[in-house]
Amino acid sequence: MKRTVGIAAVTTLLCAGCSSMGVEPWERDILAKDEMQLTTDEIEAATDDHIYFSKEASSGGRGFGGGGCGCN
Amino acid sequence: MTRSDNRSISVTLAAATCSLLGGGIPAPVDAQEEPAWDFNTSLLYYGEDDDRVKDYSVSAIARRMFVDDRFLTIGLTVDVLTGATPNGAIKQDVPQTFTRPSGDGAYTVAAGELPLDDTFKDTRAAFTVSWQQPVGETSLINIGASASREYDYTHIGLNAKFARDFNRRNTTLSAGIALSMDSLDPVGGAPTPLTPMLDVGDKSNRRGDEDKDVLDIVVGVTQVVSRNLIVQANYSYSNSDGYLTDPYKVLSLVDSTTGDTLPRVPAPGAEGPSHQFLFENRPDDRTKHSIYGQAKYYMNGKVLDASYRFMTDDWEIDSHTVDLRYRIPFGADRYFEPHLRFYTQTEAEFYMLSISDSQPLPSFASADYRLGDFDAITLGIKYGWKTRNDNEMSVRVEGYRQTGSIPGNQIIGNQATRDNYPDLNAIIVQLGYRF
Amino acid sequence: MKKSLFLRVTLMAWALAAAPIASSDLPSGERLDLSDYRGKVIVVDFWASWCVPCRRSFPWLNAMNDKYANDGLVIVGVNLDQDPASAAEFLQEYPARFQIRYDASGTLAREFNVQAMPSSFVIDRDGEIVAHHLGFKVRRQDDYEAAIVAALQQETRE
Repeated sequence: MKRTVGIAAVTTLLCAGCSSMGVEPWERDILAKDEMQLTTDEIEAATDDHIYFSKEASSGGRGFGGGGCGCN
Repeated sequence: MTRSDNRSISVTLAAATCSLLGGGIPAPVDAQEEPAWDFNTSLLYYGEDDDRVKDYSVSAIARRMFVDDRFLTIGLTVDVLTGATPNGAIKQDVPQTFTRPSGDGAYTVAAGELPLDDTFKDTRAAFTVSWQQPVGETSLINIGASASREYDYTHIGLNAKFARDFNRRNTTLSAGIALSMDSLDPVGGAPTPLTPMLDVGDKSNRRGDEDKDVLDIVVGVTQVVSRNLIVQANYSYSNSDGYLTDPYKVLSLVDSTTGDTLPRVPAPGAEGPSHQFLFENRPDDRTKHSIYGQAKYYMNGKVLDASYRFMTDDWEIDSHTVDLRYRIPFGADRYFEPHLRFYTQTEAEFYMLSISDSQPLPSFASADYRLGDFDAITLGIKYGWKTRNDNEMSVRVEGYRQTGSIPGNQIIGNQATRDNYPDLNAIIVQLGYRF
Repeated sequence: MKKSLFLRVTLMAWALAAAPIASSDLPSGERLDLSDYRGKVIVVDFWASWCVPCRRSFPWLNAMNDKYANDGLVIVGVNLDQDPASAAEFLQEYPARFQIRYDASGTLAREFNVQAMPSSFVIDRDGEIVAHHLGFKVRRQDDYEAAIVAALQQETRE
């Protein structure tokens, strides 16, 4: 458990520290595409979560937010 | 996916909540177009072989966009479940009779067959609603509620998530929380844990309804790495508190030498179990920690979606999940998307194949195959296309196989001669229409 | 964020010289020389076909153009698409009654330090950037318009 939190903390810090990584606001054409969203199909994702939750002992884990066109 | 297949339905609905939490920022039919109303609908068939569970489901999500990126989302799912599910007892070389969960009837399983309880034919309806809007220049907030109902189970939940962009929107930090309050009213009443399954009509060891609360928290970071690559990492915490036992599952009480289930004779004139079975018992608390990472990589029109999740909990279950999808477009209007998923888990600390009559009664025990040690693989393919009126249809077909194993030290005597943990094979077919 | 007109013209001319010349099939692809617009109020709007709020901003930009062109307003929409066909498709659906220029390499966008899509800059009659907004919020249209009107009403220093 401690190890898990440790890994999670390090990963988060590493990513947060990448403040120079990324693209210019006008270079998000590919990221704006439907197929590049983190969850492409809500119903399919919910269906899979439901099936695997019913048949296995683990659940969820997905995150949300970010990506896309970054507009507004 | 019957009630007895879900440790309790509340677990399923917590799953629904978790998927709400993980639901991502809503994308309209085409992330680049803005209809006022957007619909995502699906028909699903899930079927296990060997007369086991079959589920037919209809889902719809309706999304209404309001001025300046505000969204109202309403979702409805209706499931019809049929088929049978393992009741936790082991196979025997003789027929076995069990009392139904209602306590009002009995059923018999043939010799050499895995005991399955086919009592339940169930219909479930689940409803979700959420509101999302921007907050300031760089943040957004999403709040929602969920509810579901079937004849012996009710769920109510609330959830909220918040996301903030940094670094010219290349980095997003997000946090979410979901609370579930569920109540379970098992058919015939929840049985007193680790007491025997009794004759038909004898409900002396049955209690009333039970409750369960679940708290889920997710924190994550999403990072745009390049024009073609986006990655996400997050940590989830989940705590379930209350009745986590499956009220319909039992363990066989077996002879410590032969490993055969101890026989039993029902009271004169009564129908009842032919052998000795004890209702299972799980702890009333469960804490899970997960870390999840996902990457989406675009190469010349094709998209690779790869994710990994590690879960560990205080029931001593550890699991690893690797999920790979590869979208291959054909022309402007269609695509194929093969899908491969690997899953493995270790057994719960209190999972056991059977209870030996020479051991002291454990505090917690369950023979539910879903808490056992197994590997699973999913292989599927999805085909999607744009219809004449520019809407999207898709169909996917997947095969799921679970292969379990029982640790050698849990196998007693004659149990070694049988396949105690048969494979689970299921097919998933889903039709989707977005408009 | 105030820069002299001279500097602005120099930088723009340089930027467009360094940028790939827009193909002659594309409408309004000529070089942009700000000195053409000396004494006018210029709105430079950076947009792209994949940018959803840009669809909302175009009707508004057209309305501003119709309303204030006679008072000395010039709107220049700078397209940042990598693929000119996407820009052309967008303009078919959302025709522009204002000028369009192309900056696929992003040179001009960098020059203006564009932080979000879309981005709009209001340049007054003296060549100074007096307002800019990130993104396009329908609810802030009045504020955006007020910034243009303020610039139009300002007397030039000459």
